[in-house]
Amino acid sequence: MNPQTSTATPELLEDEADVRIYEIAVLLPYPMGQKEEQVAIKEIESIFKEAGAREVSKDVWGQRGLAYTIKGSNEGNFIIYHQEMDPAKIREMDTALRIVPGMLRHIIVTPPKGYRIVKYSETYEQWLKERESAGEKTKREREEEIQKSIADKAKRQVKREKTAKAEAPTEVVSKEEIGKKLDKLISEDSIEI
Amino acid sequence: MAYQQQQPQKRRQDLRSKKCAFCEKETQYIDWKDYPLLKTHVDYFGNIRKRYLSGTCLQHQKMLRLSIERARFMAMLAYRK
Repeated sequence: MNPQTSTATPELLEDEADVRIYEIAVLLPYPMGQKEEQVAIKEIESIFKEAGAREVSKDVWGQRGLAYTIKGSNEGNFIIYHQEMDPAKIREMDTALRIVPGMLRHIIVTPPKGYRIVKYSETYEQWLKERESAGEKTKREREEEIQKSIADKAKRQVKREKTAKAEAPTEVVSKEEIGKKLDKLISEDSIEI
Repeated sequence: MAYQQQQPQKRRQDLRSKKCAFCEKETQYIDWKDYPLLKTHVDYFGNIRKRYLSGTCLQHQKMLRLSIERARFMAMLAYRK
């Protein structure tokens, strides 16, 4: 063993600040008092400070409906943090987060390398707008179809009436005319039968 | 015997010929927070759509499952409706 290498490796490890970016999502109940919410958020952020984390980004989603009730609340407020911190302190932070009062859920995820932080609060709003527009489109299409069908029906009715009118007078007139013409023909003296 | 010639029934599309939508986009990671994307891969009852029907490859299906499970835990998606 080379003594130089054996001494150099631990130094290198110590020097290298072993730091990773972690994604920590927190779910708070939505109808929550402002003071309570502020206290909860302060407590959560103090836990991050204790772990020596550096805040990369913070995304507050706001009011969101939950898929199932948690502790009697049907709506929640998501807050997503991206923290750069030491992986050794993750367990401590996890246990500390479990004790925070008034918090429904939390999750810690290690995003992969080359992960781009996307603010899903904005994309979700965009998606909602698009979905609304899609719904409006379908409504419009339905209304248009109904209007078309009504217009077609009206056209057909008009056609039928026209044809009925056109057929009826021609028959009557033709008979009368024929009768008159016949009478004239018969009454004429010039014709010798 | 007078056989009535039946018209050949329209055959269903071969589901095996479907291609993975994630592979086409070259996705490396499926985010659990992407609700609009996850919602399309979950049916009415909250079950994950089968790989055979959706056409996703095994690698991406595993990623999708993980992200859906995370979303379920955070009450974004339902476990069961």
